[in-house]
Amino acid sequence: MTVTAILPGGGGQGSRRASLRRNFWRGVGRVLRRKPSRILGVAIVALFAAMALVGPMLYPAHLPRDDNALYAAPSLAHPFGTDFEGTDVLALVVTGARYVILTGLVTAVITVALGTVLGLLAGFHRGRWDTVLMRITDLQLTIPGLPLLLVLSTVWKFQGPLEMGLVLGLLGWGGIARAVRSQTLSLRERGFIEAARGLGLSTTHIIGRELLPSMAPYIAMNMLIAVTGAIYAQVGLFFLGVLPFDSNNWGVMLNLAVFGGGALTSAAALPYLLAPLLAILLLTLGIVLIVDAMDEIFNPRLREE
Amino acid sequence: MTLIAVRGAPRVNPVVRRLAGHVVRGLVMIWVVTTISFVIIRNIPGNPVLGQYETLIEKGMSPDEAQRATAALYGFLPTGSLWEQYTGYMKALLHLDLGQSLSTPGTEVVTLLGSAAKWTVLPVLGGTLLSFVLGVTLGVYAGIKRSGKLGDLLSISGSLLHGVPQYVIGLLVLAIFTTLWPILPAGGPVDVEFVPGFNAGYLASLIQHATLPVLTYALASYGGWVLAMKSSVATVLGDDFILAAELRGLSRGVLFRYIARNAILPLFTILALSLGMLFGGAIFIERIFNYPGLGLLLVNSIGARDYALMGGTFLVTTVAIIIANIAADLLYAVIDPRVRTGGTA
Repeated sequence: MTVTAILPGGGGQGSRRASLRRNFWRGVGRVLRRKPSRILGVAIVALFAAMALVGPMLYPAHLPRDDNALYAAPSLAHPFGTDFEGTDVLALVVTGARYVILTGLVTAVITVALGTVLGLLAGFHRGRWDTVLMRITDLQLTIPGLPLLLVLSTVWKFQGPLEMGLVLGLLGWGGIARAVRSQTLSLRERGFIEAARGLGLSTTHIIGRELLPSMAPYIAMNMLIAVTGAIYAQVGLFFLGVLPFDSNNWGVMLNLAVFGGGALTSAAALPYLLAPLLAILLLTLGIVLIVDAMDEIFNPRLREE
Repeated sequence: MTLIAVRGAPRVNPVVRRLAGHVVRGLVMIWVVTTISFVIIRNIPGNPVLGQYETLIEKGMSPDEAQRATAALYGFLPTGSLWEQYTGYMKALLHLDLGQSLSTPGTEVVTLLGSAAKWTVLPVLGGTLLSFVLGVTLGVYAGIKRSGKLGDLLSISGSLLHGVPQYVIGLLVLAIFTTLWPILPAGGPVDVEFVPGFNAGYLASLIQHATLPVLTYALASYGGWVLAMKSSVATVLGDDFILAAELRGLSRGVLFRYIARNAILPLFTILALSLGMLFGGAIFIERIFNYPGLGLLLVNSIGARDYALMGGTFLVTTVAIIIANIAADLLYAVIDPRVRTGGTA
């Protein structure tokens, strides 16, 4: 705010917004720098995003394959060894990232969009809609997700990452809807909402401009958590082997490493199993570190100035 | 009780009213779940029910006999209107008739479910109780010594184990104890050479085979208990009666008991829920260790296209969770008097 006062011709809407934004990014930088682990988190997630974006382009024709080196030990040529056909495991992990991350993103967007809208509506209007919506979320939270997914996989083949994400998203919005509803219920009794209502502002304005911004950080964190949840779920489904292996995916790798041709009977096959596990753990670590940083950026009480 | 007499109007005991509400809601949920599994089985590509019916006719069976044989397998008639099929399916379910298994011909689905359930209950109960006791005890410590080194370590290990999916833990356990350092058997519930019964060899083999699944359960759920207990302890620590106890100069042991007993209350509800949940959540662990419980039954039934078995397993898994939900709520009313009296707690 002080910056605006000094700026020549300050007080204009545009420049004030710009300086607010600059302050925000400065805050982000400060929070990231305080704990080096957070920069690591950003780096890890950026690495996986890059793998998802350009990974498949690195191996345009076919994956590097060496028919003479089945289950080869890690070496310079194959940092994580090779699989049962001699394909380079690192290449498998890199090209598999796109499917996994794309599904995670689609799921997160659907989960958050549905959960937020329904939670806001239920919490703000209360009454009959609220009761109906909460009964539906009850049902969704009670029916076990994984068995339902398994049973659904017999009717619906979840072709491609987009469809997979759609299914996971449609099954997973209950938790966020419930959380957003309870936040709305407590926020709508606060002074600033009452003031907005007293000023005669429209419901759209109150929900969109007053309620939503104060919940945005919370929703953003939930979105990241939804990404990890979706990644676990789809890798798990492929690992169980109930879906057709139509593309390269970390879950397919896990399945073949454990159940394919007694791979786990010798220690030579271990790198093939451990590489996708390591990828999942690393990605989780990166997201957890970023959530931790976001928590501090949006929740000033946690900042130790 | 005297209050009721004075008022004259008969008032139902709040616990009974709660129970009635839950039972009604539970029944509605079971109905919804059965309807979902009916819709799914009926819409499977290629319509296995009609396919079975037609195969039987091709084999020379009369349409009437084929109708009956197929209905025995799936629990509903292959032909007829949607409504007739649906009511037929529901009627069979009310008689606890889940149809017959296709992959093990001539066996009732209910029989298969019964034998699988015992293999699920054993490790689930063992693993959950083990991690509950460990996690709760360590969670109290982590909650009291929040700023200490050990408290930090406990919280971090809890968050990590809680955040990692079950199958990652299971696969790591499998790789470590059966491949890298092969000291325990990799799969199956028991070695075949022993005669089932109360003899030392059989029991030893049973325990050997159950060790890794139980360990995985325990590791996978331990983190959740530590975190839940820690936050519950943190809430209790702020209560007035703790301050009063400190001012009265009560010993550390007594204080510890005060804190633990009050903080553990909400965890009992989660315990009841997780016992119900693990029927469904055991899928990964049973698949990894080839343990013949309900989870493996579900996966195998899908692989074998045994849809009657699949529907039955799904139903049992879900009903277990719905019952656990009701049990959790009642349990809370029993152990926490504030809920029982119907007061606002």
